[in-house]
Amino acid sequence: MRTYLCRLEELADGKARGFDPAGTSRNAMFVVRRGDQVRGWRDACPHVDGAPLAWRKDAYLSADGRSIVCYGHGAVFDIETGVCTQGPCLGQSLTPVVLEHDEEGALWIASPDAAE
Amino acid sequence: MNILGPDSLVFGVDDVAACIQFFTDYGLTPVGVSESGGCFEAVDGTSIVIARREDPSLPAPMETGTMLRKTIYGVADRQTLNAIADELGRDREVKRLPDGSIEAMDDLGFVLGFQLSVRRKIDVPGEAVNAPGSPPGRAPNILGAKADAEHRPLTLSHVVYFVPDQAKAARFYTDRLGFRCTDRFTDAGSFLQPAGTLDHHTLFLIQTPAFMKGVEHFTFHLSGPTAVLQCGSRLVAKGYQSFWGPGRHKFGSNWFWYFNSPVGCHVEYDADMDLHDDTWVAREAPMQVDESQIFLFQHREKWAPGGPPPAGQAR
Repeated sequence: MRTYLCRLEELADGKARGFDPAGTSRNAMFVVRRGDQVRGWRDACPHVDGAPLAWRKDAYLSADGRSIVCYGHGAVFDIETGVCTQGPCLGQSLTPVVLEHDEEGALWIASPDAAE
Repeated sequence: MNILGPDSLVFGVDDVAACIQFFTDYGLTPVGVSESGGCFEAVDGTSIVIARREDPSLPAPMETGTMLRKTIYGVADRQTLNAIADELGRDREVKRLPDGSIEAMDDLGFVLGFQLSVRRKIDVPGEAVNAPGSPPGRAPNILGAKADAEHRPLTLSHVVYFVPDQAKAARFYTDRLGFRCTDRFTDAGSFLQPAGTLDHHTLFLIQTPAFMKGVEHFTFHLSGPTAVLQCGSRLVAKGYQSFWGPGRHKFGSNWFWYFNSPVGCHVEYDADMDLHDDTWVAREAPMQVDESQIFLFQHREKWAPGGPPPAGQAR
């Protein structure tokens, strides 16, 4: 079953946003929008099992907005591939959450386990 | 050598505005802060110093990208400062800076400063508790909990490094600077106490691969567990990300609550750490989570008994 996240136009271009599809009072995943492209990732640093990345609600990116950063220990991730390019989990990767958006502009989680 | 503990940690950061917001909300007092950075002080004058990553006044960065650029220790007197300069000058460069402090590198590449300590007397009472059978901690009609209580970080307590050779790193501090090892995790970490304090540790070194070298966390002491829980709850309410806590450590007995931060390491609130003198014999335990926490709470959004759970909370 796919899970609704939001409408595409609710995501600011070049920004990230956390979501809590399972209602656990934590952001289980986050999405990054760049132009018309939106990628989703589990909010879990590969360095420490389940460690959340942001330092504040929706603060998942570097100051220049070009990388994803874990503000636990400073790991830097490629914004396209999710691969860690600097820091404690060098070479490891964020876990992708497969997204799809329909013709009406609604954004959904396609992978069923993403809400865990 | 009469080293009291860390006076200041200096960071070179990417997002100065975010750091100003974070450390102000954490409870430190901004001193001389502008858009290029500044100082954030605890009650006793110990501090976090923020500057832009490319600021030429900072020591050179480590190759790993850690934002910590310098750890500045406070010492009790000028004799200690001279003794450190003499000792470290035997095998490395010791710079004398215009402000009278000295600067040198430890054996793993962390830049250290030493200065006559800035620490002022702390005029804030510690948390007082009432317990049956003991004299009252608080006089009658003095309340223990207030929703609007002001809790300020009192003093910079300790800093924790990831290091590729913790045994070698620990030897530098014990053999060259007179620190004592109070407890250790087998082959994984050493808790270190300088000679000028009884605090369980002001430095903790954790063994990691070389590419992780840098700062893991730092913390300021608060007045007690209530302050840790109340300050941490306020950070959560402002949208900051809790990482671990609140809970209580085994080694050191200190209460803890860790948060992610825009300086790329965890920032902790802590309180009520054990004191040890030189009659203490270091304990040793394997490095695993059960050895580092007596108990742990996890934050949940507000819940009160009697009513239904808040919408979206139940699983």
